[in-house]
Amino acid sequence: MKDIKLTAVGQPLQRKEDIRLMKGEGRFSDDQCSPDQVWAWMVRSPHPHAKIVRIDKSAALKMPGVLGVFTGADCLAAGLKPINHSPVPATQDDVKLRGRGDTDVFVGRHHLLPADKARFVGEAVAMVVASTREEAFLASVAVDVEYEVLPFVIDTELAAQAHSPAVWDELEDNVLVDSSYGDEEAVSAAFAAAAHVVSLKTHIQRVTAVTMEPRAALGTYDEQTKRYTLYAGSGSAVRQKRELASVLGIEPEALRVLSLDVGGNFGSRNRVYVEFGLVLWASRCLGRAVKFRAERSESFLSDYQGRDLVTTVSLALNEQGKFLALKADNISNSGYCCVSLSPLSKGSGLITGNYDIPNITLRARAVYSNTMATQAYRSSGRPEVTYAIERLIDKAAAQLGLDRLQLRRLNLVRPQQMPYTNAMGLEYDSGEYEANMDRVLMLSDWAGQDLRRQEAQARGKLWGVGFANYVESSIGTPKERVDVTVLAERIEVVIGTQSAGQGHETSFAQVAADLLGVPFEKVFIIAGDTDRVSAGGGTHSGRSLRHASTVLSLATQDLVAQAKTILHALLGAQEHEVFLQEGLLKWPRGSQQWSWFELAALAQASPLEPHLKVLKVRTDHEMHTPVFPNGACVCEVEIDPDTGSPSLMRYSSVDDVGRCINPLIVHGQTHGGIAQGVGQALWEECFLDPETGQPISSSLMDYGMPRFDNMPSFNTQIVEVISPTNPFGVKAGGEGGTTPALAVIMSAVEDALRPVCATLPFEMPATALKIWTALNSAKANANANANSSSPGHSLSP
Amino acid sequence: MSMVSLTVNGQSVERDVPDNTLLAFFLREELGLTGTHVGCDTSQCGCCVVRLDGVSVKSCTTLVHQIQDAQVQTVESLAQGEQLHPIQQAFTECHALQCGYCTPGMMMSALDLIEHHDEVLTPEVVRAEMEGNLCRCTGYHNIVNAVVQASRVMKGG
Repeated sequence: MKDIKLTAVGQPLQRKEDIRLMKGEGRFSDDQCSPDQVWAWMVRSPHPHAKIVRIDKSAALKMPGVLGVFTGADCLAAGLKPINHSPVPATQDDVKLRGRGDTDVFVGRHHLLPADKARFVGEAVAMVVASTREEAFLASVAVDVEYEVLPFVIDTELAAQAHSPAVWDELEDNVLVDSSYGDEEAVSAAFAAAAHVVSLKTHIQRVTAVTMEPRAALGTYDEQTKRYTLYAGSGSAVRQKRELASVLGIEPEALRVLSLDVGGNFGSRNRVYVEFGLVLWASRCLGRAVKFRAERSESFLSDYQGRDLVTTVSLALNEQGKFLALKADNISNSGYCCVSLSPLSKGSGLITGNYDIPNITLRARAVYSNTMATQAYRSSGRPEVTYAIERLIDKAAAQLGLDRLQLRRLNLVRPQQMPYTNAMGLEYDSGEYEANMDRVLMLSDWAGQDLRRQEAQARGKLWGVGFANYVESSIGTPKERVDVTVLAERIEVVIGTQSAGQGHETSFAQVAADLLGVPFEKVFIIAGDTDRVSAGGGTHSGRSLRHASTVLSLATQDLVAQAKTILHALLGAQEHEVFLQEGLLKWPRGSQQWSWFELAALAQASPLEPHLKVLKVRTDHEMHTPVFPNGACVCEVEIDPDTGSPSLMRYSSVDDVGRCINPLIVHGQTHGGIAQGVGQALWEECFLDPETGQPISSSLMDYGMPRFDNMPSFNTQIVEVISPTNPFGVKAGGEGGTTPALAVIMSAVEDALRPVCATLPFEMPATALKIWTALNSAKANANANANSSSPGHSLSP
Repeated sequence: MSMVSLTVNGQSVERDVPDNTLLAFFLREELGLTGTHVGCDTSQCGCCVVRLDGVSVKSCTTLVHQIQDAQVQTVESLAQGEQLHPIQQAFTECHALQCGYCTPGMMMSALDLIEHHDEVLTPEVVRAEMEGNLCRCTGYHNIVNAVVQASRVMKGG
């Protein structure tokens, strides 16, 4: 790395992918059509939990245009396998989650369609295929499903109770994970000796990704080649291919998956959707291309959802406010089947946040419920635990009468402690946590806040400021592969991780350009087509740039070695005589030098053996070491006391992303990450009616979203503390926007309401209604107290 | 089924389509103009915004038979070959798009906003006027900057 001249890296270059996306030439899933295509429509369960007694297809089959009706029984008869999501995180740095009594986790069976029972409102129980989408829809209404309604459970804590209705008959209750960690004895001793103990119990509510592109899929089967093709946006075409081939019972080579432009992911598209397998299967059954496109209402029901963690935390402090020990009890709601335990695992590793807390105990549980399955969602698991520790510290400061910033400073992990192993055993690679605090206090003009508070109060508003630190982890699948080919005036990089808006075609090209010493414009990144991409880990956990830059560094060495072999074969150049300098391969003894493109042309035109005629390498790399992006943020909020409506006035964030490859992209990622955190803090919630289990917030008219007119501008600053764990020193960007956002906004709302409510009487989202209700009950209480304390009006006997 | 004739991006088109055909799907599925996207089923997201006789509309909520003989302008009409439209130029310079799914609708709405305001737009006006377009990637910050910048360029300000 030290020999490389950074020309493209670090520059705010405009994105290569923008041109086609802005011209309307994107290649999204629903843009893919086949001339003979027919349409699929799903029959979805109206019940949260019901036995499927019988499905009568006869009326639907007589409807115009109908080509087939498929059920769970048909899936079983056809020998289709359940989707193997590999939901238990298994890299060496993932916190190991186990079933009760250290047993294997029971992950349920995720069939394309269930044959036994429906387990959540919106579960697909049958598929109709017809000539047009409208015909498929009309016939879906005629599919007669006889259900036997069963008792259901949706609430996370209720699901953890011993006698809650069992979602899976194979499990005695709904608890699929029950693992404990830490040093019970040391923690008990610390709590016994503590001067103060502060506790908090909270629910980080369930939200959904709302990718702007609803999921869609086109499946085809070629009778001649016996090959399937799937066009469907996801986070990893390679993973989709592997898992869907297993569902269909075919060799992976018999399936091509194309995930070209993807209209947002945020984790929700990282696991296989049942409809993807169904269109492939139906295309073979019917001999036609089969297409599915979800309505937005279907996305709300059946996109993989996020969060839904109940956490109970207690902190022991000494007289001076030093943290002695932490106890945490976390329950994650997996939904109806287990698709990913990433949120619980990732969160578990980070319960101590940025703080030096020597002793912990953690009980981590996951439960089934009659709800859509949860999956990693924007910074999987980290915003939840950051919320817990940061809100707990705010509470401790208020309870002990300490300054909330001082209490944090007193307990931060120091730079000289890096690499720092936290009490869960994770090794933080680097970071300047207190410097981040100082930077964000400056950036947000913390010192000038009194003026803004007074000014807002003069306008009759309640004003508050929130603060939060964060550290998050980037782990993810450890393997990545790259194929680099030098062509005439063009370098092609085929890689197994792919973008859903993160700008890989640009930032990866910046890295490759500087490594090889070629202009950025000459590098082209190819991803998302399994006929080109043979292996790779996909996009998740902020892993892409770290893995891409590392495997590209190694590929560059391999490419130089290949160049040396070619030059040796052609000219007799010795290996040690040839070197790469500023984009030129130099052989001083021969007084010669070639650009990559010249050498590729030379090899191509030479009489060398075929494998030496092409300047091309395939490089695989496995990297387990995680990195820990970190930062701090400040948010100011105004509340209208008449309506309860909160407005974000200022939002400042400092993010240590390690080496920043493209600041334009990194700032953009941070903005988007913040917005998703703001959404969760203020409006978003997958709300299910507790009486009926019915989703209430299932359209964009009911589900509160960040919009132009309810979002602030952002003041973001990138910090580059280079990670020692990989060649470019990359950590990760984007997730850091979301990770502290829930905590900092609720901290600000609490601060604004402090004159009227000592503690926040509600959970996220902090909607205007909740705030207004809190203000009114505080007012009513104040009036009652005033009345009761005045003589003659006392209600007390 | 009945015949509909429109001018789309300057070209006359005639198609015999079902009476309940929505403009968005007419553009996408009949004409292959897949730059216009559909992101919801309640006219909330704005991914489908096109211009109809010079005014922005949500094409997912416009029956094609309602607009006989109208002029329709979609995102595909903006660039002239390699030459980007000022709104496109501003979007890429300001990094106002990430996944790009909402972008066509964003740009068509922004164009309408810019053309219907005499002055260079302020961020406040952009935020108030464009709340009918949703984006999940950018947090809007850079889109606001891009629309303000495009308005400055287009007004010669």
